[in-house]
Amino acid sequence: MKEMSDLNLPADVKYTKDHEWAKLSGDIVTIGINDYAQDQLGEVVFVELPEIGDTFSQGDEFGSVESVKAVSEIYIPISGEIVEINEGLEDAPELVNTDCYNDGWLIKVKPENTSEMDNLMDKPAYLDMLKG
Amino acid sequence: MNTCLKTTPLNDWHKSSGANMADFGGFDMPLWYDTGVKNEHLGVLKSAGIFDTSHMACINVNGNDAFELINYCFTRDITTLKQGRCVYGAFLSSDGYCIDDAIVYKFSDNFFMICVNAGMGDAITQHLDANKKNLKVVIEDLSEKIAKVDIQGINSARILSKLIQTPDTVFTKMPYFSFKGNFNESVLGESDVKLLDGTPVLLSRSGYTGEFGFEIFLAPDAIVKLWKNILSAGQPFGITACGLGSRDSLRAGACLPLSHQDIGHWKFINHPWDFALPYNKEKTSFTKDFLGADALVPAESDSFTYPFAGDSLRKVSAGDNTHVIDETGAIIGKVLTCATDMGITWHDGKIVCICSDNLPQGIKIKGISCGFVMVSKKMTPGMTLTLKEGKRTITATIMTDIRPDRTARKKLDNFI
Repeated sequence: MKEMSDLNLPADVKYTKDHEWAKLSGDIVTIGINDYAQDQLGEVVFVELPEIGDTFSQGDEFGSVESVKAVSEIYIPISGEIVEINEGLEDAPELVNTDCYNDGWLIKVKPENTSEMDNLMDKPAYLDMLKG
Repeated sequence: MNTCLKTTPLNDWHKSSGANMADFGGFDMPLWYDTGVKNEHLGVLKSAGIFDTSHMACINVNGNDAFELINYCFTRDITTLKQGRCVYGAFLSSDGYCIDDAIVYKFSDNFFMICVNAGMGDAITQHLDANKKNLKVVIEDLSEKIAKVDIQGINSARILSKLIQTPDTVFTKMPYFSFKGNFNESVLGESDVKLLDGTPVLLSRSGYTGEFGFEIFLAPDAIVKLWKNILSAGQPFGITACGLGSRDSLRAGACLPLSHQDIGHWKFINHPWDFALPYNKEKTSFTKDFLGADALVPAESDSFTYPFAGDSLRKVSAGDNTHVIDETGAIIGKVLTCATDMGITWHDGKIVCICSDNLPQGIKIKGISCGFVMVSKKMTPGMTLTLKEGKRTITATIMTDIRPDRTARKKLDNFI
C-alpha cells in the first residue's frame, strides 16, 4: 500500500468520502475513483458501469469496481444523467490502476445542479479526512 | 503491521520487493508483488513462479510405532505408502471434523514427516501426542525450524536443474507425490538432493497450484540465498515471485481445498476430496479403522460441498453474507471460497485454459470466478446456482472440475 505522501491527488479535482473524484469541465462532470481507492483495491479486473441515459442522485451507487482482492461499490459524486461511459475499460480495466485520473476515468455526467460540486472535498480537506 | 505477527526469513525480501503484506495464519505474508496477482497467476501457468511457504509447519514422527500412530490419526491408509512417497489426507477429531489437512512423507518404516498448515504445528503435535497412548513414538514439532519454497509451473525442473547437484539423477523416476533428499542429514543420513553449495534439501514433487512443480524444504538460514538463486536462474524463463493471492486463485481453479475454509469444523464427508478418505473400491466402507471414522456415517442433516464456476470473472465474497440460491429460488447454502482464475474462459459451454492445446484463434481469456459452495442438499454437476451478496448476484454452475489441462500429474520427462 502507498504511504499517504505517495498518493497522487491532483488539486484540480474534487473528492468524495468514498474516494471517487469529480472534475467539472464546461457543463460536464468526469468521474473516476482516486489513487487511494485504486491502491486499496489492488489490480482491477472488471468495472461495472451504468447505461448512457441513466440518472442518479448525488451519493447513489452507480456501479462497482472489482479487483482481484475485492468488489467495491462506487457512488456518484453529483446528481445528473450519464452522457458517456469509458468503454475502453471493458478490454483494459487495469487503466483504473495505471491512470485513474485520465484514461482510467469511469463516467461523464451532465449535472442537474453544478453547485453540488461545493459539497465535495478539495485536496486538503480530503487529505485531512484520510488522516482521520 | 501487527507487531505480534510472525515472519519468515524472506520477510525483508518481500517488503523490499514491493509486496503487499497481510496476516495469514499469524504470519506476515506477501499477498502480491508489484507484478500483480494476474501476472503472477498467469506466470505459473505459462512458465514458473515461486512462493514463500515457510509459514507452513512440519512435524517429525519417528519410532517403532510411528506407522501405527499415523495410520490411526490420518485419513489415508498408509499401509501401502512406499518410502520416498507422500500422500495427502486429513487429521480428524473423534466427531469426524477436520482439524487440518496435511501431507505425510515416508522416509522409512519408522520415520515420517507431516506437513501441515500455518500455525498448526503445535495443534497437530498435541493431537498426535494425545492419541499416542503407549505407542513408542517421538513426535517433534519443527515449526519455524524449517523453511520452504514452492516452485510451480512447466519450467520448474529446468530452472532447478541449474541449482542442484546431479540434476539428471534427481529428475529421474520422480512421479507426482514422490520426494527425494532431506534437510536434516544428522538424523536421516546424506541427502540425495543438494544445492550446488552442498545445502541438503527435501525436494517434493507436489504443490498447491495444480501445475507441475516442486516444494523445497530446507534450513531457514539457507532459504534467502536459494530464493535469490531461483530468481536469477529463472530469469531467462521469465520466472515470477508469487504471493498468496495467486496461490489462492491457482488452487481454486485446481479444485484444491483451503483448510479451515473449505474443510474444517464440520464432518469430513460429501466433498470433492473423498480420495482423502480410505474408501474401499465400492465406496461402501473404509479399508482401516481411524480416528473420526465412526462419526462419518451419513446423516440427514449433513451438508454437501461442490466446486462451482461463475459465468464470468465477476465474483462474490465468501462467507455467511453470500447466499447460494437454487433453481427454485430457495436459499440452500453459502460460499466457502470464491476467487477468479484469470487463466481460463468459457468457450462453447466448456472451460478452456490459456495453456490448452488447440485454443480457438483469437480467443480472449477473460477469467472465471470459481470456488466451493456448501449446500444443504445433494446436487449434480451442471445445475445452475445464483450466488447473491447484497444487491450483487452472479450465476454459477456446479462443476466436477474447473481449470482444464493442468500439468501437475504429467510425466516429468515433458518438462526437462
